[in-house]
Amino acid sequence: MPSRGVGGAVARPASVAVTGAVPRLPAWSALGWFCRRKPLGAVGGALMLVVALGAVFAGSLAAYDPIETDAAHTLEPPGARHWLGSDHLGRDVYSRIVYGARVSLVVGLLSTVLGSVVGGLIGLLSGYFGGKADLLAQRVLDILQGLPLLVLALVMSATLGPSLPNVIVAISVPIVPRAARVIRASVLTIRESQYVEAARALGGGHGRLAFRHILPNTLGPFIVLATAQLGGAVLVEAALSFLGLGVPEPLPSWGRMLSVSAAEYAQKAPWLVLFPGIAISLLVFGSNLLGDALRDLLDPKLRGH
Amino acid sequence: MRRYVASRLGVAVLTLFGMSVVIFVLLRLAPGNIVDILFATGGYVNEAEKRLIMTELGLDRPIWAQYLRWIADVVSGDLGKSYRYDLPAWQLVKPLIPVTVELALISTAIAALLGIPTGVISAVRQDSALDHALRIFSLAGLSMPSFWLGMVIILALVAWIGWIPPVTYVSPAANLPLHLVQFLLPGLAVGYRSSALIMRLTRSALLEVLREDYIRTARAKGQSGPAVIWRHALANAILPVVTVVGIEFAFLIGGLVVTETVFNLPGVARFLVQAILWRDYPVVQNLVMFIAIVVILTNLGVDLLYAWLDPRIRYAK
Amino acid sequence: MSAFLAFALAVTAVNAVRPPAARATPAPRRGGILRLMLREDLPQGFAIHETATNSTVWPSLPCFNNLVTFQPLKPVERPDTIVGDLAERWAWTSDYRALTFTLRRHVRWHDGQPLTAKDVKYTFDMVREAPEASARLRINPRKDWYAAVEAIDVPDPYTVTFRLRRPQPSLLMMLASGYSPVYPAHIAPAEFRTRCVGTGPFRLKEWRKGEYVEYVRNPEYFVPGRPYLDGLRYVVIAERGTRFAALQAGQLDAAMPAEGTRTIVEQLKAAAPRMVVSEINVGVNDNLLLNTKRPPFNDVQVRRALSLAVDRRAYVRAVHQGGAVVGAALSPPPTGAWGLSAADLEGLPGYGRPADDKARARKLLADAGYGPGRPLRVEVATRAISLYVDFASFVINELRQVGIDGTLRQVETAQWHPLVTRREFEIAANLTGLGVDDPDANLYENYACGSPRNYGDYCDDQVMQLVEQQSREIDPKKRLAIVWQIQRKLEADAARPMMGWRLDYFAQWPYVRNLVPHHSAYNWSRMQDVWLDR
Repeated sequence: MPSRGVGGAVARPASVAVTGAVPRLPAWSALGWFCRRKPLGAVGGALMLVVALGAVFAGSLAAYDPIETDAAHTLEPPGARHWLGSDHLGRDVYSRIVYGARVSLVVGLLSTVLGSVVGGLIGLLSGYFGGKADLLAQRVLDILQGLPLLVLALVMSATLGPSLPNVIVAISVPIVPRAARVIRASVLTIRESQYVEAARALGGGHGRLAFRHILPNTLGPFIVLATAQLGGAVLVEAALSFLGLGVPEPLPSWGRMLSVSAAEYAQKAPWLVLFPGIAISLLVFGSNLLGDALRDLLDPKLRGH
Repeated sequence: MRRYVASRLGVAVLTLFGMSVVIFVLLRLAPGNIVDILFATGGYVNEAEKRLIMTELGLDRPIWAQYLRWIADVVSGDLGKSYRYDLPAWQLVKPLIPVTVELALISTAIAALLGIPTGVISAVRQDSALDHALRIFSLAGLSMPSFWLGMVIILALVAWIGWIPPVTYVSPAANLPLHLVQFLLPGLAVGYRSSALIMRLTRSALLEVLREDYIRTARAKGQSGPAVIWRHALANAILPVVTVVGIEFAFLIGGLVVTETVFNLPGVARFLVQAILWRDYPVVQNLVMFIAIVVILTNLGVDLLYAWLDPRIRYAK
Repeated sequence: MSAFLAFALAVTAVNAVRPPAARATPAPRRGGILRLMLREDLPQGFAIHETATNSTVWPSLPCFNNLVTFQPLKPVERPDTIVGDLAERWAWTSDYRALTFTLRRHVRWHDGQPLTAKDVKYTFDMVREAPEASARLRINPRKDWYAAVEAIDVPDPYTVTFRLRRPQPSLLMMLASGYSPVYPAHIAPAEFRTRCVGTGPFRLKEWRKGEYVEYVRNPEYFVPGRPYLDGLRYVVIAERGTRFAALQAGQLDAAMPAEGTRTIVEQLKAAAPRMVVSEINVGVNDNLLLNTKRPPFNDVQVRRALSLAVDRRAYVRAVHQGGAVVGAALSPPPTGAWGLSAADLEGLPGYGRPADDKARARKLLADAGYGPGRPLRVEVATRAISLYVDFASFVINELRQVGIDGTLRQVETAQWHPLVTRREFEIAANLTGLGVDDPDANLYENYACGSPRNYGDYCDDQVMQLVEQQSREIDPKKRLAIVWQIQRKLEADAARPMMGWRLDYFAQWPYVRNLVPHHSAYNWSRMQDVWLDR
């Protein structure tokens, strides 16, 4: 059964991590090779890079302080003064989008990493040791996965309360079982391979075996999974913020920019609705493109998806 | 086969129990309870009065006692009383189910109608400009927040034809065309997203099948293009597609939460959000378990369908 | 000149200066269903006595009647606009220690039972938690309104007398508020959380939870010929933008009080120029709670510095886009009867020239030992709702300019009242809605020593004395002077610095007649005289 990544990309476990599909080259050439080979993936990577740069250099790129209000210039359409318009308090939409990139990326990345790492560890140990521990882990994962993603994130968020770290944890929780599933399946196949048999025969201890031999070969599917989940994490954060359970003020969040205030003024100021949504879409689109390209490269069995 | 089903059901029951504990505990970990909220509507709080109400609602008993009480109630058919509305939870949820089911069905239908044909075209014309265009179109569907898409649809309607969809539920009995339009818009918003997944899976499944030997054999035998595709390829590719459509249906609940809020439809998902915000434990617990049961049963059903359609899988587990 | 000629000239002169007669309003027509909006589902059903929110009062008022009420067609609410509702007439004793009502006869509850004075005694004994009360409210926000009531006598089935411990002219105003409906003695108060049985012009038809509330005309209403409407329909729409879009598209007939900010209504009027918009002062004010038990806020100079730092007029512009008025503890004139006017506010902290005020603030802080080397760090708590957050963010910004380092702390709504009740805050951005424009309904609750809702724990003996004095004062002019004095002292002491009073822009379609918005949120939604002109 294909397991579904949050971002929607269908991630099948790699049967064997492929070496040789990715040539070993110095960094720049590898990049160029990648761009030629997978142009769409390069576009995706570029989109994500733009967002990342915006997040990192927000201070210099933003035109105004994102939380500074200006009663004299509320709901201004995009123009010379406010490139992407201003909202009902006179805050500059462009600056809020630039700073909002921070929130979206931080939440998206950290929750994905947290969820994938925790899930990956569970999957690694569960797949490696098998037996009773595996069965138990499977049931626990079933529980977490049985609840629809947004519902679980909602309850977690309500439980933990509105703050940045809590939102990250809330969004990472649904990712854990999906990551565990993928890594575990990968581990199961690798475990029986001849390569590992040989290492075991040579007398490697469990730790060594697990971490030095099996783990690196799961890296392929792991990267694919992580990029697939990233887009989904950003979307969940947007939905949570839209419902009022996400990152709290005054941090500008793209999702929250779309909630209450945007909907109220949508007719008079459609730019309040369009731009944050476009920002979210571009980031997720980029991560999906990149994820697709990486999966194509790292797992030829899935080529053509 | 029967053993397979039995063992799966057994596992499902265990999982449901586990989920019940998780949801029960999580809810009570959340700061604030219904009594806090009731007092908030009263504009003040008084600790003594608060304790009285908590006793009245049974919230002062230890957590394990409350849990056992809940399980005992559910097993005996009592689906709890809403703290907020003081009415049986089932009575409150019953009229909402048809709305959510209808929305889910319409979204899934749109998703299939949009996704399967585009997936087929994309697979048949692999690597052509059309293929790329369709893949980008479907990927865009996966990238847009569905609630945003809903808002943009409404905005566009207002801007282009000066008309907004009805903001309150229109029943089919009252005005069937308006009712259909009212459901079509959120259906599109959610369905577009699901169609992307279905399209991608259709495409990949079809591509794999197209490479299979027996297709080549059929071609070598001189059977013409479209016949090959429709008779052999699609029949075999339909399998994973059906399973994904089935899974998507269950996972729609998440997308429906925001969509029902944006389009103001009186469905189960919107009610659930309100119940979570109000810490209406009986409603949230029972609704979430209900959703979980639906999801598990759907998964089980899909697995069985999969096994039935593909005999290779049936006994391999 | 003959008397006749003089008279004729006088009449002519008078007619010359009188404005031309307004186009006569048409006679009311019967029929139609008025479609209104709700921002959330009724939190506790129709149990007005157990809530303090307009989400309950606005849609529940059509079901009930009070003893007395404010004239529906007059926007200001004053003692002289009070008219009888269930009471035909009433009278104070000369010392204002007893208030007697004579009830109408032949009034029936919606279930057919007759209304008698017993129902009135039952209701108000319950609310004031009298020892002999036969029922209890689960949540009772307005117990203190009736603290001065010693006993309620029912000498005959249509006479009720409120006997007071001491004079309290405000009692009548409080009984006229939408928050004081009469409950039936034969129905448990808990029932009102799910259904409504009143004497009002409309009977509850259906409450579809989370969706709508529907009423039908009460054919046995005691006012002959009323109501004109066939029914009412309140629709729950959670998103404000959607609510106003529905109003604009004609799917709804009128708005809800305290919903229309200036910007939204400007947008609405641009798209629907025929919309009638009334600017009203709904009696909701933004204020800052300062925890006077926590240093350094126990130091009045530091509090004053905080109040000086926040420019109230800039607040009105920045946070409400001009849709608010400045004022002190009570609603300012001309719509409020007791408040300080803008002229009176000059000289109080925060109302002067911003640069001067901020300089004075810095000096006061320096005197208290704070300065660039040792900045005052404060935490401003607020509810996690964008309106409150905007308010708190503005305040933090202002404080920053006098060297106070403020951080924002958001609190979930369910946690807000427990937090402020436990006094777990330094500064809090707060909102207070007043049930009725009366000092007694406001000052005791918020400023009395030891009041649980005096969240800042401000306690000043002189103020307490003045509050008691004005409550007993029968002469309105004298009372007004005392109330002004109280407000000035409260602002000077920065007890609970007032930011401003919100203005609501109530929008309705022109065919909705006789729905006259009052300068309050809670007291005018009975819909008894409303009719649809189409």
